[in-house]
Amino acid sequence: LQEKEELIEEWQPEPLVPPVPKDHPALNYNIVSGPPTHKITVNGKECINFASFNFLGLLDNEKVKSAAQASLKKYGVGTCGPRGFYGTFDVHLELEDRLAKFMRTEEAIIYSYGFATIASAIPAYSKRGDIVFVDEAACFAIQKGLQASRSNIKLFKHNDMADLERLLKEQETEDQKNPRKARVTRRFIVVEGLYMNTGDVCPLPELIKLKYKYKVRIFLEESLSFGVLGEHGRGITEHFGINVSAIFLSS
Amino acid sequence: INHIVHNGGLYKRPFNEAFEETPMLVAVLTYVGYGVLTLFGYLRDFMRQWKIEKCQNAIEREEQKDFVPLYQDFENFYNRNLYMRIRDSWNRPICSVPGAKVDMMERVSHDYNWTFTYTGRVIKGIINMGSYNYLGFAQNSGACQEAAAKVLSRYGAGVCSTRQEMGNLDKHEELEKLVARFLGVESAMAYGMGFATNSMNIPALVGKGCLILSDELNHASLVLGARLSGATIRIFKHNNMQSLEKLLKDAIVHGQPRTRRPWKKILILVEGIYSMEGSIVRLPEVIALKKKYKSYLYLDEAHSIGALGPSGRGVVEYFGLNPEDVDVMMGTFTKSFGAAGGYIGGKKELIDYLRTYSHSAVYATSLSPPVVEQIITSMKCIMGEDGTTFGKECVQQLAENTRYFRRRLKEMGFIIYGNEDSPVVPLMLYMPAKIGAFGREMLKRNIGVVVVGFPATPIIESRARFCLSAAHTKEMLDTALKEINEVGDLLQLKYSRHRLVPLLDRPFDETTYEETED
Repeated sequence: LQEKEELIEEWQPEPLVPPVPKDHPALNYNIVSGPPTHKITVNGKECINFASFNFLGLLDNEKVKSAAQASLKKYGVGTCGPRGFYGTFDVHLELEDRLAKFMRTEEAIIYSYGFATIASAIPAYSKRGDIVFVDEAACFAIQKGLQASRSNIKLFKHNDMADLERLLKEQETEDQKNPRKARVTRRFIVVEGLYMNTGDVCPLPELIKLKYKYKVRIFLEESLSFGVLGEHGRGITEHFGINVSAIFLSS
Repeated sequence: INHIVHNGGLYKRPFNEAFEETPMLVAVLTYVGYGVLTLFGYLRDFMRQWKIEKCQNAIEREEQKDFVPLYQDFENFYNRNLYMRIRDSWNRPICSVPGAKVDMMERVSHDYNWTFTYTGRVIKGIINMGSYNYLGFAQNSGACQEAAAKVLSRYGAGVCSTRQEMGNLDKHEELEKLVARFLGVESAMAYGMGFATNSMNIPALVGKGCLILSDELNHASLVLGARLSGATIRIFKHNNMQSLEKLLKDAIVHGQPRTRRPWKKILILVEGIYSMEGSIVRLPEVIALKKKYKSYLYLDEAHSIGALGPSGRGVVEYFGLNPEDVDVMMGTFTKSFGAAGGYIGGKKELIDYLRTYSHSAVYATSLSPPVVEQIITSMKCIMGEDGTTFGKECVQQLAENTRYFRRRLKEMGFIIYGNEDSPVVPLMLYMPAKIGAFGREMLKRNIGVVVVGFPATPIIESRARFCLSAAHTKEMLDTALKEINEVGDLLQLKYSRHRLVPLLDRPFDETTYEETED
């Protein structure tokens, strides 16, 4: 007992956080005053804004603002509850209907935080023991989703379909060795429409061919390509002229 | 009822918490109920497979019939057979501001809850006992809303950029200084979503080689953050200080499991108010333990900020402690402030570190301007800085409502869990059929309640949860109590035998703490 007391006295933990150098760039944020539209006032200087994700310029649109004001007068700011317990408003349901019609899918669901969307959707379907093929340049939200799902992750080189095919073939030979297990492990591919890290577009038609050949389901992350690619802004499926029902989940 | 408390000298006020035991007959009947439902479930599945009954589930498309099926049959068994029967108690759509009274859209189902159609009628004036509107700031008129409207017309509705790039508006700086002043800490940082605050900042604080001690009933966001961090997780019994102390002693004396090296850090994860139980954490004892064993404390005040304490500063003020003792104070703005988002407060070095290394600061967009303005206005109102005593009155009204409501429910004979001062009131239902019945009966009488069952709670302990609000007047509470009384008699819910077992007398079992390693 005496030893235990001594050990407890002697133990010194690390400090909760290591000290950060004072001139780290993230500590001195640029303070933006005024709306972050095309012309932006940073630290008092007026600049042209090439840094925000304001692709369609709807941040400053009068129609959007007046609709928001109207709903603010009707509903207040917060929802005060999750979707399950009196947090579902009729506007949520209307938005989901409209999204589904616009994207020509059967149904849609909305989340309140962009990062959390794909990070929660992946673990909902892919559990421990399933196999996920993901591009190397996938964004951070996808990485967190994969980490939370505990599945086997196989990375393939960025936009390289030959590499992906090689991995799929290896997986197929493994399946033949153990067909019983293969019948229950689900397989997914996670790609982005427009990659946040490198800025290029994924080759969707080849992916669809691979999908039917090797029987994998496709998760398509369209955060950046929604509203940007395609003739009406429906995203990468319209851009390539593919039927969106071939995609398992588009987010 | 005052209990003899170990370390009783640390508590400056009586700590009354009670979790009445499940009566034996009720437990047996509940298991029987679940057994019958399972049998019927198998029968229906059999009929569906042999096409006697139409399958209303989502079916795979033609081309994809030979793909590996998405759902294992058994995983969805509960979903198909039990959840579908009572599904109309959840996801109820409302069409007005979620204040003390709401308007709900009427829903009917012609095929036993597989699909819903909206009749178009709106049920007006339902007393809302389900939204997390503790201080009544969910308003669509008044000072908060006007300020938010002004900011909306000036700044637009969104930010479109992450915090480290162009996302840091002057409004955010103002908000963080205000939050730090409100809590009494050195500095604070705000994030876009409460859930994401936990799941993205715990990995930034601890990593492999560290130990996390988390309470049994912690919220999913804390559990996810702990798992993503890669540290070793050990669970102690809910609010049980002896269990926590034993774990701490063992951890320091024995070190890491295989290598016996000392741990780098120990982090204790607790919540202010636990939303499913209504219990308040024993903060004075936790802080005493933390100081004795040199570990760090992470306090999640999602429900308790604004709701506890004489001036609404949360559970730290409720116990009269020093906010600097808690290393990381985390909370959300969704519940008491009527907005959205989360914050973390603490020492300046901690917040500087989080600004640089937190995943949320680097990759996720920041709070949108009207939401920030709502938080600023409501926080100033609670602190009394806008010149009125509206904030203080709300906090006092909430405390009175809580005490009155709980006392009346206990007198009527229901089993109520939790601490006497917590505005979250769980009322035990136990049997699966009563879950659906309670929700529907209360709706018929124009009161909206929240019912929860498995998997959010243990399988026999399903409950109805009332969230009190400062916006509820005494007449509303009286109406609600009268209706609850009626429904309680109708459904025979008054199980209480007034044998309240004090929490500390629960036998502390040495062998049942779990160790999970990543």
